[in-house]
Amino acid sequence: MRANLKCLAVAMAMVCCAIPTMAQSFNWKKHDGQTINLLLNNHPWSQAIKEMSGEFTNKTGIKLRVEIFNEEQYRARLNTVLQAKSSDVDVYMSLKFREGTMYSKAGWYADLTPLLNNPASTSPDFRYTDFGEGLRNAETINGKLVGLPINLEGPLFYWNKDIFSRCNVAEPMFLEDLPDTAAKLKACQAKGDATVWAARGIRGAIAYAVSAFIYNSGGDFASPNGKPNLCAPNSIKGAEMYANLLRDYGPPGAANHTFTQVIEMLGQGKLAMTHESSNEFSNIMKFTGREKDIGIKVLPKGKATGISKPIVFGWGVSVSGYSTKKEPAWYFLQWATSADMQSRLVRRGVAPPRSSVFNGPDFKSWTGELPIRQAWANSLIEISKTGTAISYPPTERVVEAREMLGGAVQKIFLGQANAKDAMCQLDADLAKLQ
Amino acid sequence: MSAQRAASLQALMWPAVLFVFLMVVFPFGFAFWLSLHDYKIGQAIRFTGLENFLLIWRDELFWNGFRLTLQLYGLSLVLQLVLGVALGLLLNRIQRMRSLVRTLMVSPFMLPPVVIGMMAIVILDPGMGVVNHLLKSVHLPTSLFLASTEGVIYTIVFIDTWQWTPFVALIVLGGLQALPQRIYEAAAIDGARGWRELVYITLPMLGPTILTAAVLRSVDLLRFFDVIYITTQGGPGYASTTLNIYAYKKAFDFADVGYASALMITLSTIVFAAVLVFSQFRKKLSW
Repeated sequence: MRANLKCLAVAMAMVCCAIPTMAQSFNWKKHDGQTINLLLNNHPWSQAIKEMSGEFTNKTGIKLRVEIFNEEQYRARLNTVLQAKSSDVDVYMSLKFREGTMYSKAGWYADLTPLLNNPASTSPDFRYTDFGEGLRNAETINGKLVGLPINLEGPLFYWNKDIFSRCNVAEPMFLEDLPDTAAKLKACQAKGDATVWAARGIRGAIAYAVSAFIYNSGGDFASPNGKPNLCAPNSIKGAEMYANLLRDYGPPGAANHTFTQVIEMLGQGKLAMTHESSNEFSNIMKFTGREKDIGIKVLPKGKATGISKPIVFGWGVSVSGYSTKKEPAWYFLQWATSADMQSRLVRRGVAPPRSSVFNGPDFKSWTGELPIRQAWANSLIEISKTGTAISYPPTERVVEAREMLGGAVQKIFLGQANAKDAMCQLDADLAKLQ
Repeated sequence: MSAQRAASLQALMWPAVLFVFLMVVFPFGFAFWLSLHDYKIGQAIRFTGLENFLLIWRDELFWNGFRLTLQLYGLSLVLQLVLGVALGLLLNRIQRMRSLVRTLMVSPFMLPPVVIGMMAIVILDPGMGVVNHLLKSVHLPTSLFLASTEGVIYTIVFIDTWQWTPFVALIVLGGLQALPQRIYEAAAIDGARGWRELVYITLPMLGPTILTAAVLRSVDLLRFFDVIYITTQGGPGYASTTLNIYAYKKAFDFADVGYASALMITLSTIVFAAVLVFSQFRKKLSW
């Protein structure tokens, strides 16, 4: 009898313990039948997610309604929806260095911290700390987790080895070599009708590509006392080199060019050199023959300064502060940023932000298949170690400041102002934004 | 009119009144309210009265946009009216395959602006575009078109004129076919033919029709946005940053909603003023 009582007590204790455990267990099917709306920027990641959305539905029962727009249209639509405090969008992509502070203050990000910390909401194999520390910090604003990193990217130096070889010109080893290299290529008949240099010339897109020129020349966006510093001699030097390369060696109409035109030229084998996004790797590889003749590396360091400070950041995926389906949206975030998904997304040119994937056997075997993939991966490793996300002057109005920087660089290459005047006027204008 | 009939007529009017209130009065009123505030996303909204309008007065980019908007408007309107009337007169004389010609003429303005913009980018690309290729082949100088700080606004005028001249022509054609024949017969007896008939009879009688076309095109031209945004985003430099583009960038890129609303209220005032001027003219030209 006593033994029976003991057994009963043990059984009851087990049931009592099991009740909270069961209540806390994570279940992928918890939101079966729900639908969440995704508003995404046109990006290799979002294209892949759209194609693979059926897998998420099979796993969770949650349907995805995916809308993808080019970046300008994407931002316009997102701003309209969020300003209206609408719950029409549950999940969206966001660049935290660009708009993080503003969106956070406006309440446009859902705080994901409680969901992350709740075992009932977060899969046990999610492993949040697998994301690089810098990327985790970028997605955390005022102690609140506002998104998860989906990639790692930055501008890299691409050159067409075939054109260089035909012209018997060596690849540039230092930033200061670029103008000389461009001049030699321009004079070379063997390059045919290829353009020597191309880069982003449209006002709003220039900051992304010009920043490393400024850093490597010894310049900086901010002075030690936190003021705009683009009128400093080395900052001017970097911006001037970028502008002069476009003016003297760029394609006609460069002032209206962004990455689409640049990548088209590079992909067609009609461009000798550029400084473009690592993200475009997969698009370049879609062109026949480019895997053999394209070289990739980080923008060469400054010869005089010895500085190599590339730009690096990652897009994040966030849940809208106005979403009425935050937990199903969080399920999507976990699935989309899982180690398994990232291993597969690598093959579509999405650089993985998870350490386990970046250092994992799948990624290594894929990059080992072709030298150009290895070069791309090595460049990403380098920029993740030495890079910075700061490609803007010190202000909360980042978008406006980046556009103003682009405007100043445009003035130089369009011949509307000399470099010193343009950059010093820029500093004065930026000071008003602070 | 019986009281019951008056009441039912009033009831029929209410949906239209409600529609106008919701679609016109409320958005305009709300935009005006926003224009009186310093409202940047992520910051507390603050009443500033007319400060945004005073800032506009001192804003170089506003005056640049204002100049470009008027330049684009004036050039396009004149070109489209002149060419549209000429085309309308020509169409009026065509007897064969009239419906086919009209269908072909409708096609440019039936195309979505995105398509027009993308076509322009491809055709007018300074390096790879077919226009420069053709110019080169006949040894004529090439152009930067949309990438030229001096030429971009004229290129946009050209694109818009290509798209919308047939629209004006169709309105003119409708007007021409409604003109009373007896006046032409009387004029013929008096010896008015050809050029004289056009200048002294056709054009004066077409006045109200042309003004209607001018009003429609004015409203469209003053709020012209899509093709510019697709082709240049306001560049190169600020050479095509019209008031619409500028206000859009302020609102959606820079999140400065209050200032953008003030810009839009200013532009709306210009549009209303233009429409008022044309409607006064129309009254005078009615016959």
